[in-house]
Amino acid sequence: MISLTINGQSIQAEPGVSVLQAARQNGIQIPTLCDHPNLTPYGGCRLCVVEVKGLRVPMASCTLPVSQGMVVETETPGLRQSRQVILSLLFSERNHFCPFCQVSGTAVTSDCELQQAAYHQDMTHWPMQPQWNNYAVDTTHPYFILDNNRCILCRRCVRACAEMSGNFTLGVEERGAASVVVADANLPLGQSSCISCGSCVQVCPTGALIERSSAYQGSQSQLTVTQSVCAGCSVGCGINVMTRDGHLVRIEGDWNAPVNHGVLCKQGRFKPAHEQRQRLTTPMIKVDGELRPVSWDEALDAAAARLKGVECAALISPRLPVETLYAFKRLFKDGLHSHNVVSLGGEDAGAEYAAHASLPLEGRLDMLSHADCVLAVGTDLTNTHEVAGFMVKRNLQRGVKLIVIAPQESDFANLAHYVLRPGAGSVADVLDALSCAARGEGSAGGEGFAEGEEAAETLTALLRSTGLEADLVQAAAQALAQAAAPVIVYESDLYASPDVAASLVRLAEQVGALDAGRKGLLSLKGSANSLAAAQLGLDGSLVTNGSKAVYLALGDDELPEYLVRRLQAAPCLVVQAAYASSLTASADVVLPSAIWAEQSGAYLNLEGRLQQANAALPVPAGVSENTAVLQSLAQRLQVALDGDWRAELAVRPSLVTLTLN
Amino acid sequence: MPFYRSHVLISVDPECIARGAHEVLDALNDELMVQGLFDEVQVLETSRLGDPYRFGPDLIVYPEGVHYACICADDVPFLVREHFLKGRVVEKFRALETVTADEELGAPKAKEVRIVLRNCGKIDPHNIEEYIAEDGYQALGRVLTEMNPDMVIAEVLRSGLRGRGGAGFPAAKKWQLCRSNPGDIKYVICNADEGDPGAFMNRRVLESDPHAVVEGMIIAAYAIGSAQGYVYCRAEYPIAVQNLNLAIQQAREMGFLGQNIFGTDFSFDLEVRMGAGAFVCGEETALMSSIEGRRGEPRPRPPFPAQAGLWGKPSNINNVETYANVPQIILNGADWFASMGTERSKGTKTFAIAGDVVHTGLIEVPMGITLREIIFEVGGGIKDGKKFKAIQTGGPMGGCLTEAHLDLPIDYESLAQAGSMMGSGGMIVMDEDTCMVDIARFFMEFTQEESCGKCTPCRVGTRRILDILEKICAGKGTLADIDRLELLCAEVAKNSLCGLGQGAPNPVISTLKHFRAEYEAHVLEKRCPAKVCRPLIRYEIQAPVCTGCTVCSRNCPVNAISGERRHAHQIDPKTCIRCGICVQVCNFNAIDVLS
Repeated sequence: MISLTINGQSIQAEPGVSVLQAARQNGIQIPTLCDHPNLTPYGGCRLCVVEVKGLRVPMASCTLPVSQGMVVETETPGLRQSRQVILSLLFSERNHFCPFCQVSGTAVTSDCELQQAAYHQDMTHWPMQPQWNNYAVDTTHPYFILDNNRCILCRRCVRACAEMSGNFTLGVEERGAASVVVADANLPLGQSSCISCGSCVQVCPTGALIERSSAYQGSQSQLTVTQSVCAGCSVGCGINVMTRDGHLVRIEGDWNAPVNHGVLCKQGRFKPAHEQRQRLTTPMIKVDGELRPVSWDEALDAAAARLKGVECAALISPRLPVETLYAFKRLFKDGLHSHNVVSLGGEDAGAEYAAHASLPLEGRLDMLSHADCVLAVGTDLTNTHEVAGFMVKRNLQRGVKLIVIAPQESDFANLAHYVLRPGAGSVADVLDALSCAARGEGSAGGEGFAEGEEAAETLTALLRSTGLEADLVQAAAQALAQAAAPVIVYESDLYASPDVAASLVRLAEQVGALDAGRKGLLSLKGSANSLAAAQLGLDGSLVTNGSKAVYLALGDDELPEYLVRRLQAAPCLVVQAAYASSLTASADVVLPSAIWAEQSGAYLNLEGRLQQANAALPVPAGVSENTAVLQSLAQRLQVALDGDWRAELAVRPSLVTLTLN
Repeated sequence: MPFYRSHVLISVDPECIARGAHEVLDALNDELMVQGLFDEVQVLETSRLGDPYRFGPDLIVYPEGVHYACICADDVPFLVREHFLKGRVVEKFRALETVTADEELGAPKAKEVRIVLRNCGKIDPHNIEEYIAEDGYQALGRVLTEMNPDMVIAEVLRSGLRGRGGAGFPAAKKWQLCRSNPGDIKYVICNADEGDPGAFMNRRVLESDPHAVVEGMIIAAYAIGSAQGYVYCRAEYPIAVQNLNLAIQQAREMGFLGQNIFGTDFSFDLEVRMGAGAFVCGEETALMSSIEGRRGEPRPRPPFPAQAGLWGKPSNINNVETYANVPQIILNGADWFASMGTERSKGTKTFAIAGDVVHTGLIEVPMGITLREIIFEVGGGIKDGKKFKAIQTGGPMGGCLTEAHLDLPIDYESLAQAGSMMGSGGMIVMDEDTCMVDIARFFMEFTQEESCGKCTPCRVGTRRILDILEKICAGKGTLADIDRLELLCAEVAKNSLCGLGQGAPNPVISTLKHFRAEYEAHVLEKRCPAKVCRPLIRYEIQAPVCTGCTVCSRNCPVNAISGERRHAHQIDPKTCIRCGICVQVCNFNAIDVLS
């Protein structure tokens, strides 16, 4: 530990922390603007300057490492004057006429860090005439607006775009007083390489970057913030849902969430506020070909009548919480003994996974952040599970090697150092080719092929069957073999073929991904609760043939077109859903249910972490919470929905270690 | 080796090339071949010989020392037949002044000691053998065969060599710090960005004697334990870049660069990286960012480059001139170097003298020489018999020194104490017709444009300071503006991230200190005492002197002058743009500039 003195106070700090961090850890506040605890320090705004005994000039505390015996002052008259001058310089640089800016407010309500700094540093008037080049406001992006006239060039957005999502879209053009934040080579944001993760908006201290859907709907102090979990995919990012008077205003990433540390993708951050679909507001029954609004009792009675005693298939969306999935399983599988009780995407869940090493095989998501080589098999992390993709993308400039096996072009493949596009041949052949090549590289992998398997084909034969170039495969294999912390990430639908699963494990062992307790495999598992659904036995394909009735617990999800048609063809369809659609229009009984933001529940993400989602909005009148619907139905069908879902989740061996407490 | 009876040095300076020097060269070689003289007369390319605007393309024939000027390719056959076959000097081609050396440098003037500039203008920079013939790479040989790295550092430390880029940090101490930091990979970098306006010392050395820098870097690399070096040269010096690349290639061919130099287990290689037009990239951490391919913005220190520099590895950055001194120190010894200069500033320093002196150009003088000696002895005094007013040293980060400072011995400490700095060696001499407020504005205009924009005080502060200076020069300033100027200058100097912002207010601060009366005249009387600031001056025709010849009114570009023939003319101050053409064309000195 290092001992130093700040404002006469003796302080202990870990070596490597900055003076700013050491001060904050001990309750000493130093004003900042360009600094952000989740971004690398920049040292540009100079508001955090402190006086250090023995040093000629004030130093920016955000970038000054603590040293033994340092004596620091943070509140001298000279520093106070400097801060006022710096703030007045900033106010004179661009358009900081506050009154009509969306983040403006009082010292209590202001969401603008520049304005707050001025309040706190007593910068009460403008000693210098503001004078700036008028920049055109960029309104070309669907989700947010960039107004360079409000920008203080703190570069938080540039750093966020690089360090949070690894997209490197934002940068600064020109220099000095002509500096301006731009996207790519000064393209309008809407035409740029921006992927709408919104990290820049979340970190912007002023009103330069503002979200369209929430602008002018209230300051932070007027919003209710509910910590929750995103139901967009199996990554399970922690979010803060901001509401006002029962309406959704804005969603932000939760900086403290262990999965994502504040970064989100457009699915979780922006899409929910741009929902176009219509809510279902009342239960309905189809009478004479037309849906009629009825009471809940009538609708539930009708549903129970259709389901009782007939062969029915039941399908549930894995966007719903574990409690709902469990109630569904208890009702249909255990209670009604239906033969086809599955979740959406359940055919990928991996029940056929033939492991060649003992389960669990997979590790945590943060392995991606620390990997030095990542192999992505058949997955485009720029289009799905984007936050997992960010963990790889933001390290590419630090030397992480990315290898992608992909039959088609994708943005993710474009980022890769090695792209393997198998012509004919299966993915298993490609993986085996890599294993063979890696063996030749002398990697310290395991025994290679497990007993019971055929002897390996020669590399040449594999190259022929896949149509891949020898140099490419060798280079990719070498990168994997030489990596100290390789990670293989893949789509769960690879499980469908036991060959592929076997080749995957073989390769993982060969390149050392499974050495010394490491579990360098990561499957994406689809939706928010796909893993929970699989653990509860809701895997398998939906079979509607021979079913007299189909129950669909959809929640706020949407079905792919082919499933919609299949369900529409069912003799009887009972749908529990939040939004109206052509599917609900064809249903016989419609039970309106809550959306993700209206109900609390548990979510099990792809790394086996159990997280709690909390309701942030009230359930609308006439609508019912999803688990409650199933409970009411079960009551009418005389099925008891008791049991411990936590215990049940742990029964089946899982690919990944489950943390259920 | 062939024995030549005659050597022809032909200048391939950029201006001479533009005038056809390459064609002359080709014609010369062709004609010598035709005449069978190719083995007797050696043709050499060299840098500037004389003023190319007056003499170019030009050449000098040795041993006679005849300077032929304005030669074109067609003249060559006649010249060759006359001079080399018949032995007759061709008077009609002869330059009016006989110049035996470089005019940019001139022959060494009194008080000059040329160490860094010793080979400039004398050797062909495209031929490594000429450098070797001047004891080139001897120092490297001695270092690699007789000295270990610690001995090299000790010798350079004893010599007292301080960084010539401006900061003046002891070079060997920097090497020692870099050497002592852990890590197998270390980098040696040469700062050849030379961004100060009016400074061209480094350019001269890079163009005319690149091997001196190369050899210095190899020796430094050996001392530090580095295997890879970079020369970061500004792109505005294309000849320097070209000559450096050629020098490096030739050094490699000779085995002075690459694997196992001189058969030892020391290996080192060099690469040239070009700048892209940013003054701020002369700052060491911004320079490293630029080499890394990032935006040229400085980084906070600590950590210092010696600890974590290029790509996070321990790196040593020195100026061109610092490295160029090293081979001589090794060859002649630390004591020899320390015998020149003052107590704390040893050796010599190159300076680029510009402004209102008789002899502008490069000089190299021992430290400790006074400003008076430089201006009046070496520089030949103020041009046109005018009075000395001030001298700006250290470039846009330096301050102005006045009459009171003329007897200051030049060294790092004395200049800093006087409110200026050594900088890289630019010196601008100003006479009585210079407006010091305008000078301050001029330098602030430069630094404001070159600010990288990372930190608030420099990015916005220099803009606000410039606004005030422009306001004052336009006659709209107030006393409150001067107060604000002082406050802003102090705050920008204190809180900026790097040397650019920290030094940018210096010209303003020093001119305010020494020439406050001029500022006050601009503000209180709306008067520019030096009659420079256009909004504050007016041109007036003195009626008694004016003959009404109409020359001025006919030449006025904006028709501001009215008057009948043979009657006194008048200038309309509202239309007049203060271009000064009327003053120039008036044959009777009838027009006065008033303020």
